[in-house]
Amino acid sequence: MTSGWVNGHTPTGLPAVQTVVIADDEPSMRLLVHATIDSDDYIVVEAGDGTQAWAVIQKHKPSLVLLDVQMPGKSGLEVLRLVKADPSLAATKVILLTAKAQESDIETGLIAGADFYLTKPFSPLDLLTRVEEALQLP
Amino acid sequence: MTLRRRGWSLRQYMAGFMGVLLVVAALAELAVHSLTEQDARQAAQADATFAARVAANEIENELNAFRETTDEQAANPQAAVVASTPNASCGITLAGGIAFSSGHLDIVTPDGSVVCSSRPRPIGPVYARAAWLPIALHSRVTTAPFLDPATDQISAVVASPIAGGIGALVTILALAPVGPNLAAIVGGARQPEFLVATTDTNTVLARSLQPMRWVGTRLADTSLTRSAGPFERPDVDGTARLYGRWGVGSTTWVVLAGADRTAALASADQFASRSLAIILAGVAVMLVTAFVVFRRIAEPVRRLSQVMRGASSGAAVNAVAGTGAAEVADLAEDFDKLMESVKRELAERLTSEQKAMVSERNYRMLFESHPQPMWLYDIDTLAFLKVNDAAVDEYGYSREEFLGMTIKDIRPPQDVPKFLELIANSPTFDRSGPWPHILKDGSTIQVLITSHAIRFGEHDARFVLAENLTESRRLELELSQSKARAESNAELGRAKDEMMSIVSHEMRTPLASIVGFTELLVTRDVTARLRKQYLEVMLQEGLRLTALITDFLDLRIIERGHQTMRFAPADMGALIKRSVDLAGEAGAPIELRLPENLPLVRVDSDSIFRVLTNLLSNSRKYSPDGGAIVVGAEVVDGMLEVSVQDHGLGVPADALTQIFEKFYRVEGADRRSIKGTGLGLAISKKIVEVHGGKIGVRSEGAGKGSLFYFTVPLAQAQAQIGDVLVVEDDAGFAQLLEAELTGNGLSSIWAADAETAEHLMANVRAVVLDLLLPGLSGEIFLEKVRKQRGPGIPVVIVTSKNLDSAAGLALQKAGVMAVLLKGSDTAATAARVLAKTLGPVLVVAS
Repeated sequence: MTSGWVNGHTPTGLPAVQTVVIADDEPSMRLLVHATIDSDDYIVVEAGDGTQAWAVIQKHKPSLVLLDVQMPGKSGLEVLRLVKADPSLAATKVILLTAKAQESDIETGLIAGADFYLTKPFSPLDLLTRVEEALQLP
Repeated sequence: MTLRRRGWSLRQYMAGFMGVLLVVAALAELAVHSLTEQDARQAAQADATFAARVAANEIENELNAFRETTDEQAANPQAAVVASTPNASCGITLAGGIAFSSGHLDIVTPDGSVVCSSRPRPIGPVYARAAWLPIALHSRVTTAPFLDPATDQISAVVASPIAGGIGALVTILALAPVGPNLAAIVGGARQPEFLVATTDTNTVLARSLQPMRWVGTRLADTSLTRSAGPFERPDVDGTARLYGRWGVGSTTWVVLAGADRTAALASADQFASRSLAIILAGVAVMLVTAFVVFRRIAEPVRRLSQVMRGASSGAAVNAVAGTGAAEVADLAEDFDKLMESVKRELAERLTSEQKAMVSERNYRMLFESHPQPMWLYDIDTLAFLKVNDAAVDEYGYSREEFLGMTIKDIRPPQDVPKFLELIANSPTFDRSGPWPHILKDGSTIQVLITSHAIRFGEHDARFVLAENLTESRRLELELSQSKARAESNAELGRAKDEMMSIVSHEMRTPLASIVGFTELLVTRDVTARLRKQYLEVMLQEGLRLTALITDFLDLRIIERGHQTMRFAPADMGALIKRSVDLAGEAGAPIELRLPENLPLVRVDSDSIFRVLTNLLSNSRKYSPDGGAIVVGAEVVDGMLEVSVQDHGLGVPADALTQIFEKFYRVEGADRRSIKGTGLGLAISKKIVEVHGGKIGVRSEGAGKGSLFYFTVPLAQAQAQIGDVLVVEDDAGFAQLLEAELTGNGLSSIWAADAETAEHLMANVRAVVLDLLLPGLSGEIFLEKVRKQRGPGIPVVIVTSKNLDSAAGLALQKAGVMAVLLKGSDTAATAARVLAKTLGPVLVVAS
């Protein structure tokens, strides 16, 4: 299920518009993240579970994925591993969002290749900073 | 063990059998011997008689032939010439016979001289002294014996006269060869002895044995010649013989033929000895057979019998192994099996007897040393039969005093009629109270009685455990406190971990929404539309968090046993109807299928109401496309089973066992948007389990609907009887009322709603009624009481409702004893009022 607006075509000759994927099974969380990062600079695509998230990522080759860890279907960590294993997604950055708060969980996420890791509840401004950092990284 | 001889042993039988066998064999041998000897003797005598007869005939015939020849020669004229002419020449010859084989023929003159002879003629008158000569000159003569002077042989004489008395023709026959001749002619194979003798002179004429010695001798014993028929006797020379005899017709001679007895009986003896050999062989075969039988049957049986009697150790099969006949071996095997099962049974019996002894001792110790008073009393005489130490300590009476009392002596007098009525109808097992009991010092204690009907010796008795309520409550509290301390120490770490985990997983998400949107609202300028959207999400998530915390804490309380459950009779139908009313009209329609006259259940009404609303709420949530929800109830195996069936999303098979676990959610796109704390079913499960019931779910699978059910126990009949019916939905206030009633010596039953109370009002003497009740109102219930029980039953109203005067008047008309506004001493007042009406007020010792 996708919501928001989706544009699969990037205008020829213009700098590519960056795509951001938000994957969370809680609609209220998707709404919060979407509202936080909402900008004309990105195209935002939402996914309600891990399986759907992986399908959307493969289709849109996004610059950034905001992944909830505990999701039905595929978990956030599974999706993260798939992203890191796919050469065509080498440029895709991943920020994990999770209700898990223990050190070991954070380590697991970073080892799997996440660029950032935010625990719920998080500050939307903090999230925004992380997103902008991720997208400006060379 | 005394051994009694019922008869001979097998050994004795075998010995007896062999003895009889030997005697029979000996008798048979004797019989054979005697019979064969008799046969042989008869045969030998018959043969001898026959031989005598043939010999006698031969002698007769030859004598006749010699007579004829002598007559013919005498009649010849030449004979006269020769006799009358001295020295005339002549020639005559004698042809001998077979028996009489030698002799001579002479012509003799009257002076005894021989004038012509068939042998050389003797000179002189040789026959002058012959006795036969004068007779022979005139007539025929046959005589013997005669010593022939011419030959010096004993002879027989046959003579005939020559005409004119001038001489005689004489045939002289030598007798010595006759015996041997007869033996040669007619003796046959048996070779009997032949003896010819005269019967008148008893003189031997011929004998086949030693003729030269015997011929001519006279026999001293006349019996030999005169015995008739065959006979046995010693011969003249001593040999035993078997004789036959036959007379020679024209003479006084007799022929005796005698067979040698020894020789005659030799064959018989031989036959007898052969038969003896055969009999001995038969006996030997019989003895061997008997011995084998003894070895294979008697001996194994004897050894078997020794094993059976315990004289010899070991298994019976071993005792007969290898030697016993198949039947004996089978017998031994059967015996071993029998012994095996007997031993086993004995061992089992011994063990169970020991167990019974130990168990009996344990029970006695338990009874004697139990810290709470216990006793046994006869249900007919009500006399105490046995009391324990605690009863003696608690009640103040000595054991002897107790045993001289009846159970009525420890009851207040006003309680006795009711108590007797209860005893008459009490079930096998009964738990009731509180009852006031009077101690020896006159004070009263409140006790909870647990009793059980038992058989004690000759008495039908009841076994009673009396719990002093004050004491048991204190113990209970101490126990639960120490238990809680122990549990909390052990569980603290685990509980903390669980709490951490729960907070992380389930509370952070709504918290993240609330915190996040709050920050957005604080830091950004947002449109009014967005602000409203954000605030709505925040409210929703805040409520979700609240529900989660509430459910979680409730679950913790129930799990740790801190939830106070007030079990009381309740009308499940009424609870179901109220939960359906609460669910409202929105969503899938709910249909009730409740049978008439459902029995009352024993539940904590508030808790079960929570289970019902939870199940109904789930059914609604998981039936997004509608489809009727059916609520049913029925009695199954002594429990009431309530079911809630929907036609919604259903439960996949793999989730059926996990669905009652905390925070378990069935995954699927169709139900992701359905909200819930994930604790409702876990709480329901705990509540049902505390009631002693079961909760479960049945579903054909996802999309096929589901059926949730749970069971609760039925209310016991004795829990539905009491002095006062307390109709009050506030469990705390109801408890206070009951305690006050107990303090006034009144028992009570509690109904949390009017529907339940309707079932109970027939069993009580008075009613305490709250007006504000769930479901049916107090006023309507009051009408029903008056209708069923009439104006006589006392009713006290306790209410927090401010009644106007009209309402008060209506209640007074309805015959209410008192209307009490709920306050600090309402319960005590209500109890006192009722105690005054129903019976004497008891002074409760502090």
